[in-house]
Amino acid sequence: MFFLICTSSFAQSKMNDSEASALRSKVKSLAETTKTITADFIQYKHLDFLSNDIESTGKLSFKSPDLVKWAYVKPFEYSVLFKDDMLYINNEGEKNNVDIGSNKLFKQLNKLISASVTGDMFNSEEFEISYFEKKNDSEVHFSPKDKKFAKYIKEFHIVFNTNAEVSEVKMIEPSNDYTHIVFSNRLTNQKLSDAVFAH
Amino acid sequence: MRFLLISILFLLSACGSYPKKQNFKEVANAKVEITNPYFSNSAEDYVYKADITVFKNSFSGIFIVKKLDKNHHRIVFTTEMGNKLFDFEFLQEIFKINHILQEMDKKVLINILKRDFFALIKENPLAAKTFTKDDLRITEADLLSKKHYYHLTNKQLTKIVRSAKGKEKVTFLFSGISDNIAEAIEIVHQNIKLKIRLKKI
Repeated sequence: MFFLICTSSFAQSKMNDSEASALRSKVKSLAETTKTITADFIQYKHLDFLSNDIESTGKLSFKSPDLVKWAYVKPFEYSVLFKDDMLYINNEGEKNNVDIGSNKLFKQLNKLISASVTGDMFNSEEFEISYFEKKNDSEVHFSPKDKKFAKYIKEFHIVFNTNAEVSEVKMIEPSNDYTHIVFSNRLTNQKLSDAVFAH
Repeated sequence: MRFLLISILFLLSACGSYPKKQNFKEVANAKVEITNPYFSNSAEDYVYKADITVFKNSFSGIFIVKKLDKNHHRIVFTTEMGNKLFDFEFLQEIFKINHILQEMDKKVLINILKRDFFALIKENPLAAKTFTKDDLRITEADLLSKKHYYHLTNKQLTKIVRSAKGKEKVTFLFSGISDNIAEAIEIVHQNIKLKIRLKKI
């Protein structure tokens, strides 16, 4: 039993400083050359009291520097486009705009959602950051230093694959409930029509 | 004088109960048990897409109910992206707020939601009187000291009406019912422009 605990904790081991810095520069240089991203995603909403996670699937589109659209396809059609200080929502055909300019919290959250798509959010003023190795992947934990923000999200976990692309994002709430997003079929720097980000 | 008489008659009718105003007749000694089965199975994760319109604003999210134990429910509302907007809990009639977004933390709003959600999850309210009109039967019960009328069609709950001063204030409609699950639930407030539509996912 003790042996099992040991091996499972070793499956994710802390990186040393040079490994962490190598990962950072790899992610940063990839982010700089990334103009567009499209990917499929599966979102698992975990609430401790439920028997099963709530699953939804959709498509992510990103255009540098900060246009992000999450389009859910199943089990409902819903998309949200982050553009300037606005959220453009399309709820099963019904359109709605939310001005988040005045809301600092939402602004912060949106900035992070944009940043987490490329993973380039290594801002040590904003976060306590720790680096882990996980088989061939890397996992970075970001915990917000801003107390108000930390009341909503305790930690962000981002998994990078060997190419330094974001393959998973996990947002953990103070209650330990979380939203886990897993990406697949990622395409980088494909031409993306403006229509994708129209509203 | 005639005006006074009309006024008195009007007042009397205005004071009448909801069933009387709807021309229902009371059934003497009706032994009716009310069962609201729609959130009663603790093995089930009840997950609904919610569309809410308040005055001219509309927003949506995911509405989640879990029965944790007898008379113990958890009710959570999140955005489609998973951010929790509120997390409530009912233990009998005791209402607990585990979490609420600062912007929604308003007493008036919380009281409305509390009453509405209690009516959704309350499984066996104590039946008071029963009334009939043609083939319809309605049974009265008090929920959080407000009168509610349960409409049972072939012993199946299809509608709950909350009334005040004989008037319909809030209507709960259950449709697409099979195996004790309502595919669609609508909560319509008559006195304020609030409508909550739930669709099972």
